[in-house]
Amino acid sequence: MATRPNALLLKFPGTNADEETARALREVGFEARTVPITRVTVEDFADTQLGVLSGGFSYGDYVMAARFAELEIERRLGDTLTTFHDNGGHLLGICNGFQILMRLGLLPAGSLIDNVSERFVCKWVPLEKKVTDSPFLHTLPEGFELPIAHGEGRLVTKEPADAETYMKDGLAALTYGEDVNGSYQQIAGLQDTQRRVLGLMPHPERFIYREQHYDRDWQQAEHGWGYYLFQSIYQTVTA
Amino acid sequence: MSPPKQTYRHIEVRSLDGDALEHLSCDMKLSLSREDMVEVQKYFNDADREPTDVELEVIAQTWSEHCKHRIFGALIQHELDGAKETVDGIFKTHIKEVTEAIWKDKPDFILGAFVDNAGFVRLDDNVAVCLKVETHNHPSAIEPYAGANTGLGGVIRDIIGAGKGAKPVASLDVFCFGSPDTKSEDIKADDVLHPLGIMRGVVRGVRDYGNRMGIPTVSGAIQFDPAYIYNPLVFCGTAGTIPIGDIEKEVLSGHKIVAVGGRTGKDGLHGATFSSASLTTDSHEEDQQAVQIGNPIEEKKACDFVLEARDRGLIGFITDCGAGGFSSAAGEMLSVTGGELYLENAPLKEPGLVSWEIFLSESQERMVLAVDEKHLPELQELAETYETEAVLLGHADGSGILKVWHDGELVVELDCSKLHEAPRQTRNSKWTTPTFRDDVSLEGSTGDLFHKVLGDFAVVSREPIIREYDHEVQGNTFLKPLGGATGDAPQDGSVIHIDGSKPMMSMALSLLPEWGKTAPYEMGLACVDECVRQLVICGADPKRLALLDNFCMGNPDDETELGCLVETTKGMAEAATFYQAPFVSGKDSFYNYFETEDGPVSVPVTLLISGLGIIDDRKQVVGSSLRHDGSALFLIGKMSTELGGSVAARVSGITDARVPKCDLAANLARYENLYSALQKGHVASAHDVSEGGLITTIAEMAFSMKAGVEIDAFFSKEQLFAETPGCIVVEVESTEVDDFQALFGDDAQQIGKTTSAHKKLVIADQIEEDLTSLKERWQHGLTPYY
Repeated sequence: MATRPNALLLKFPGTNADEETARALREVGFEARTVPITRVTVEDFADTQLGVLSGGFSYGDYVMAARFAELEIERRLGDTLTTFHDNGGHLLGICNGFQILMRLGLLPAGSLIDNVSERFVCKWVPLEKKVTDSPFLHTLPEGFELPIAHGEGRLVTKEPADAETYMKDGLAALTYGEDVNGSYQQIAGLQDTQRRVLGLMPHPERFIYREQHYDRDWQQAEHGWGYYLFQSIYQTVTA
Repeated sequence: MSPPKQTYRHIEVRSLDGDALEHLSCDMKLSLSREDMVEVQKYFNDADREPTDVELEVIAQTWSEHCKHRIFGALIQHELDGAKETVDGIFKTHIKEVTEAIWKDKPDFILGAFVDNAGFVRLDDNVAVCLKVETHNHPSAIEPYAGANTGLGGVIRDIIGAGKGAKPVASLDVFCFGSPDTKSEDIKADDVLHPLGIMRGVVRGVRDYGNRMGIPTVSGAIQFDPAYIYNPLVFCGTAGTIPIGDIEKEVLSGHKIVAVGGRTGKDGLHGATFSSASLTTDSHEEDQQAVQIGNPIEEKKACDFVLEARDRGLIGFITDCGAGGFSSAAGEMLSVTGGELYLENAPLKEPGLVSWEIFLSESQERMVLAVDEKHLPELQELAETYETEAVLLGHADGSGILKVWHDGELVVELDCSKLHEAPRQTRNSKWTTPTFRDDVSLEGSTGDLFHKVLGDFAVVSREPIIREYDHEVQGNTFLKPLGGATGDAPQDGSVIHIDGSKPMMSMALSLLPEWGKTAPYEMGLACVDECVRQLVICGADPKRLALLDNFCMGNPDDETELGCLVETTKGMAEAATFYQAPFVSGKDSFYNYFETEDGPVSVPVTLLISGLGIIDDRKQVVGSSLRHDGSALFLIGKMSTELGGSVAARVSGITDARVPKCDLAANLARYENLYSALQKGHVASAHDVSEGGLITTIAEMAFSMKAGVEIDAFFSKEQLFAETPGCIVVEVESTEVDDFQALFGDDAQQIGKTTSAHKKLVIADQIEEDLTSLKERWQHGLTPYY
């Protein structure tokens, strides 16, 4: 195709993974543009195929993770994200971005709260793909690995049964292969019922190149696993 | 409206005698000596007026040990084992002149040293890298979380203010604590926090600043020693990158002075002068206001603002507000041109601050810029974009005089050229080489001793702490602090990919305080040697390394303690000169001693050498974890039997062993050969012999769990546990053995092999242990405490 699809990254004070996320998006073929929340307008979404909320600590996450970012999006953009989504746009939230999407109600109801260990944890974890219909995951195998780095990544739902329902209904797109933070059903990522929004705690943008793996001898695929997540959504929006 | 309040006062100094001047310094907490106060008096006699309180505060912080490093500048009459010598300033003789001599040979590599916030070296044609390390010891003793938090925040700000603004890309942290299992009754002072509380607070402080800023904390070390109970040491360092064209900066007459970032409050008053005296029990009550409060998001916003302003060419000069606040930042900026500042323009956290509080406050997250007037509107717009504050504080005017106004009153009028001239100190120091025992041997079985060493706090895995740091953010941590097949084996350093450049940067560090207790000169040699060695093992070109020296010591008024420092700097200077590895930045911290119930306790003279190296090709980065079965294990260098400074000696209660020799010529040749072997692809992995000795090095390599190890060469127990500088264990691909051996000749000895037959560590006739249980012991040593 002649022109590259557009990805729009929203940046808040404290967003800190925007550069490597933009790098990953460009690597698979997107045109990636990062706009601070103070300068973003409704028009910015007009020619955007993918909206991205990247990792970090928006406004410091001092009160509740992502709470201020949620309020700022509502204040400055109203229901722009919902409209964008209703009109067929795709949204990706990574780590803090996942927390923001949860608060905005763009994903199945639930909260991302303090890890059971009550500690920040930075490590590589095994992941399992639980759905076949995610436009973000179709080029990934069923089992793969990505790094996590969060203190508030424990996914809980009002009733534990809700999380079971998410598993059954294909909303729990990704689970951890081990219990890393106490998430119900070990859920690591959720998608919406329309299958156009994905939120996940692990960081695909940190595993684009093979050599980003901790093991010098890692050769399970041509690229790092995160590459395939971005490649999947690229294929989807350019199909 | 309330009546206008006097925000400053004049202080009578011209009529005072020496005693009264000293009292005045004490009452105002100026930390100025009698001689300093006499100089101050002279200045105002010449000016024919009394100073304001603001002026006295400005001079006190400008001349403080923290800002001026007067002990490193002092003329020292030194005595080594009775032989007298004169050291014409430690900084000049053992640091600056060393670098200047190397600089002549490497003008294209060293792009800046000592002048700016950090030293710069060339990464490639377009980009330079820089590194700065600071200590935040006193604040961390009193408020571990806030002290360490702002310690890292401060050094990150140094990088943001280096050149016209460098981008922080990686951080390191080094801590010295009392042992986490210290018994409470062994702490001989009231109100001193338990080492465990200090450790937890400090780690979390570093974690919360680094993680929120989005700067990976990738390197570090922890030392445990009872002498650090009262004065923990907290070193924080940050590396940055900058386009080479943005290194040079200049304040021009007519430039506007702009403050950016956080607001000014009452936190961090007297920080610089507080850090220039020793801690007492009273400190824990009285000096809390000297500890600043950190807000990393404020700094993140300022950082985003600065980097974009730099790229748009809007910055003429920039520096950060550190110790001394506006006074030292603006003082530095206006030291040549002179200029005027208006304190009422500074945004405040709270109303009611008097003049000196605004001017001297060390509130965090503030940067000061000098900019062309025409850029002001664009800077204002950019500040709004990133939700930070940028305010016009004043201007540079070419008068050579610093004038500070507050609500129409002139509160400071000082001649900049005289401001930075503190009287030079003269000091005495001496060092007497202790008597060593030459027939030191280790008791008990190798296995028992190995278990003890592997489980010692000095050796056990730092994993519980490393996991709390986001060491992967920015996506460029190429060699991580933990690696190997399971991502949890130790490495000799870190390697950072720099966006847009092919060469990468390695970071490593060394500190050996145990050595300095008996052999400070050798500690200086060995710290430089270890840092250089680790940088090369990480893949760096031994000809393109840059070092930093950070010192902490107790009481410089004690001749022996100062003598220990002098000897350390002599050793360090010799090694750096030999390796042609320049010091590009550094810092020193004195008065790390404490009056306990049992008398004063000083920290051992502690030298931290940290460094940067340049790696041309990522293939040279192999890591320190075994890669395969069926490869050959070589030792390069010869293990000696001297046990001084080793973990094995300490756990065996040996204090009079000689430290091993550091043979600079042999080591340098070896590192150059290793670099060549890495370039040629002979090396699968390499790990140096350090804490825990050769046996620990081999075990740590095997913790990748990819293969079992069989060592068939003979080593005495002393050789297995000595920490001989320069020795490296190398895993060599079976196909490369001949080439590798040819390259090193006699300096390399094949000592064993890796095998798929078992997952054990076998050392012929001495050890046969399951790797899983060894690793378990090593990996979880800190877990119960952290």
